[in-house]
Amino acid sequence: MKVAVLIKQVPDTTAKVGIISGSVDEGAISKWSISPYDEYALESALSLQSGSGATVVAITLGPERSSKSLIDAAAVGADELLHVVHDGALGSLSLQKALSEAVTRVGAEVVLVGKQAADTNSGSTGPGVAKILNYSCVGLVSRIEAGSDGFEATRSTPSGIERVSVKLPCVFAFDKGDVELRRPNVRGIMMAKKKPIERITLADLGVDSTGEGVSTTSVDYPPEKPEGQRFEGPDSAAEVATKLREEANVI
Amino acid sequence: MGPFELRTLKGLDLSGCTDIMGYEALDFYDVDSLLTDEELMIRDAVRGWVDESVIPKIENACREGVFLDEWRQEIGSMGILGAPLKGYGCPGLSYTAYGVICRELERGDSGIRSFASVQGSLAMYPIWDFGSEDQKEKYLPRMATGELIGCFGLTEPDYGSNPGDMVTKATEDGDSFILNGAKMWITNGTIADLAIVWAKLDGVIRGFIVEKGDPGFSAPEMKGKHSLKASVTSELVFQDCRIPKDRILPGVKGLRGPFSCLNNARFGISWGAIGSAQACYDSARSYALSRIQFDHPIAAYQLVQNKLAWMLREITKGQLLAYHLGKKKDAGEWIPEHISLAKMNNVDIALEIARVSRDIHGANGILDEYPVMRHMANLESVKTYEGTHDIHNLILGRHITGIQAFTKGA
Amino acid sequence: MSTTIIAEQQEEGIHSTLPQLVHAASVIGGECTVIIPGGGGESEASEIVGVDRVLKFNGSCFSVFDSQSWSSALKGSVGGTVLLASTPRGRELGASLAAELGMSVVQDVTSISEGINVERPVFSGKAIEKVTISSPAVITIRANSLDSAGNGGSAPISTIDSGEDLRMAVEEAITKASEKIDVSEADIIISGGRGLGDVSNFEKLEEVASTLGAAVGASRAVVDEWGLPHSMQVGQTGKTVTPSLYIAVGISGAIQHLAGMRSSSYIVAINKDPEAPIFTVADYGIVASWEDALPVLHDSIKALP
Repeated sequence: MKVAVLIKQVPDTTAKVGIISGSVDEGAISKWSISPYDEYALESALSLQSGSGATVVAITLGPERSSKSLIDAAAVGADELLHVVHDGALGSLSLQKALSEAVTRVGAEVVLVGKQAADTNSGSTGPGVAKILNYSCVGLVSRIEAGSDGFEATRSTPSGIERVSVKLPCVFAFDKGDVELRRPNVRGIMMAKKKPIERITLADLGVDSTGEGVSTTSVDYPPEKPEGQRFEGPDSAAEVATKLREEANVI
Repeated sequence: MGPFELRTLKGLDLSGCTDIMGYEALDFYDVDSLLTDEELMIRDAVRGWVDESVIPKIENACREGVFLDEWRQEIGSMGILGAPLKGYGCPGLSYTAYGVICRELERGDSGIRSFASVQGSLAMYPIWDFGSEDQKEKYLPRMATGELIGCFGLTEPDYGSNPGDMVTKATEDGDSFILNGAKMWITNGTIADLAIVWAKLDGVIRGFIVEKGDPGFSAPEMKGKHSLKASVTSELVFQDCRIPKDRILPGVKGLRGPFSCLNNARFGISWGAIGSAQACYDSARSYALSRIQFDHPIAAYQLVQNKLAWMLREITKGQLLAYHLGKKKDAGEWIPEHISLAKMNNVDIALEIARVSRDIHGANGILDEYPVMRHMANLESVKTYEGTHDIHNLILGRHITGIQAFTKGA
Repeated sequence: MSTTIIAEQQEEGIHSTLPQLVHAASVIGGECTVIIPGGGGESEASEIVGVDRVLKFNGSCFSVFDSQSWSSALKGSVGGTVLLASTPRGRELGASLAAELGMSVVQDVTSISEGINVERPVFSGKAIEKVTISSPAVITIRANSLDSAGNGGSAPISTIDSGEDLRMAVEEAITKASEKIDVSEADIIISGGRGLGDVSNFEKLEEVASTLGAAVGASRAVVDEWGLPHSMQVGQTGKTVTPSLYIAVGISGAIQHLAGMRSSSYIVAINKDPEAPIFTVADYGIVASWEDALPVLHDSIKALP
């Protein structure tokens, strides 16, 4: 069984994100990492590797620097590495097409991906790839187990959690699970250095990256919060409740 | 300006105090950009482990005076023990990588780094360099995984800086050696499965491997430390301790044996101290940016900025020293005096940075909510062990003048 | 241009965001169709001003949330720009539909204007992305970001039967109503300090927390003194948290506590001491005793539409 893990390299969640003239100042980002939810997908793939002997193929799409996330994946045990090298913006549809072609190319029937990336916060890739490949899709997954006839996945629902059974081929989009992520050890790091990375382009996959009618015009800092407001007396709590809904939009 | 206007202090970059998501290692000159990809990955792995497994647990461990066994297991499974040693299941990394590992561990706590230093440089190294083939195969693979813990017995209650006068003795008795004497200030002693013990055999210093459970050997823990509280420190007591003949390290005689070990450990300390200093600087900087006195963050005051700038200056110099020493060590172009300089300087500035950082933290600096007082107390030990600060000055003094000044009237 | 809204169900009927989605549709303009997968709440939907027709989908596939089957079932009835709520399910179904229809998807939009120009938070709210949409796309909209369309309409309701098959089966469903949320995971945290007077008063915080789906945190002082679990502790030696809302009750705001929570998006402080340092970081500071103010806050939150 081949398991593809789609990983995205994003600014580390501890890194400061600076913006210069309407776009993210990538050069100033101090640390890039595998997007956190993708790490849970990778961890589950590695469990399948040790549990049922699956071959784990890590796939990323992004500029040159993204290779590092594949090496990181190899350091914890990914067997094969595929880098779709692409610099610059890519619409959600082209991205999903490219990743779908990449999954087909490696011949994976099981695709694991994080529920959303830590930069765009979108969460479109998993379900989109599933649709293009005509695979089943289970989202918000915290754990999967291989059964005799497909997989059982635990996913969260508005009221709790549920366990669903699904046949292959399938895409699983991972939420944070209650598993501990494995840490690379020196042996893994030294092995990762030797692991080849297959590098291909969108053209190799037959994917065209031309416009989709959706374009980012700018990225900006969020508007500054107004100065702190003070209220006197217990009854003012009612006004605060209203402001939390209407002004802050947090409840 | 009223006391409630912190968030709107215009013209002040307070981004530093809002971005508190994690430890930011000071690296003003991007010295780490000189590391190889593998060295960087190892750095990140160890740093991540320290964030997750040391920082949240260290204060409690210090309060209880324990080294957590999970630390042994996890350090072992990272595969970093005996970092620069090759073969016998050892990692075979560069000395620079070993330095980076020490730095990241000591950013957590000097006691954690001490554990790794003693295991790798003082216990594994002598077996690797001076041991028999059988000894290497018997001990090294299991020491590299942390399954077996080692310690190093050189210092005695009455012989610290002058180990050559040690009184611990070994005598031959048929198929055995009999050891008598005592060692003191032995890191990992009580939890160790084996001890590398330096003792005089016919007046010549030799290395012996003593295993836990050997008759006549005990390793009581020393209590009451105000420093390195999360590290086990012990005495090693030998009362007619009988060990088989094949436990002698065949490959070395005289002080060269223990001193070779110490050179490697001191090298690690020169990097490790930078980790402590970085932790103290990081805490001081973020504290100074968020502590408001006289309506401004104290970071806005010149006296505090002066202190922070001094810390940055010394850490940057220390980093360059450590890095270049690593390169010299990797190239085999080093002399022990190079290591003395780096150990002495980097521990010295780290200790002073810890003290100044405590000062910036005001009264809060004495609380275990901040790491600075712990690092400060630890560094007092680090300044003294593995060759005291003064002894390293004398080593350099001898190198400069050709005149040894360790002993009087020589 | 026309819009299709895919409504979401919640326990009491139609999801409360539907009138907000209809408002977004009115910004885009054109005919507005509301699709209700699986049915339920269709008369509610038909009464929202601006809805032109309601399509109720019946079929066995709607018994379980299955984005792939649902998007296949719905595709023939979807036209123009597609709007969904930016809930976990809305986002998954939206992405699936977009791929089904060969369209782009723009998730988690917080503002929309003619053009179509939208804004969405990225990097967990550290930045805002502005996006221009010039051809039909799928857009999901964050709850409570937009105004709501009013009531008083009467759109016709029709029913479509779908023969689409489910691609998964639910083996076991576990309702987790009262599970405690960890402070490091929570989007809303309500924390108590020494000002609560007694550990038993944390029950009052628990009540508010269960209304908000929030986690309960504590300052170090009370964790140490009242023997609360360390996992609740927010601050220098506890958890560093960045929820979208942090409510500090009876916490004076020692620097160690502030270090752990000052990066929260919004901070509410309730403290009777007007000089308490917690007010220096509060967006909404309530100077009152918590015994009086917290019940008012709780009742007012419960009374919000």
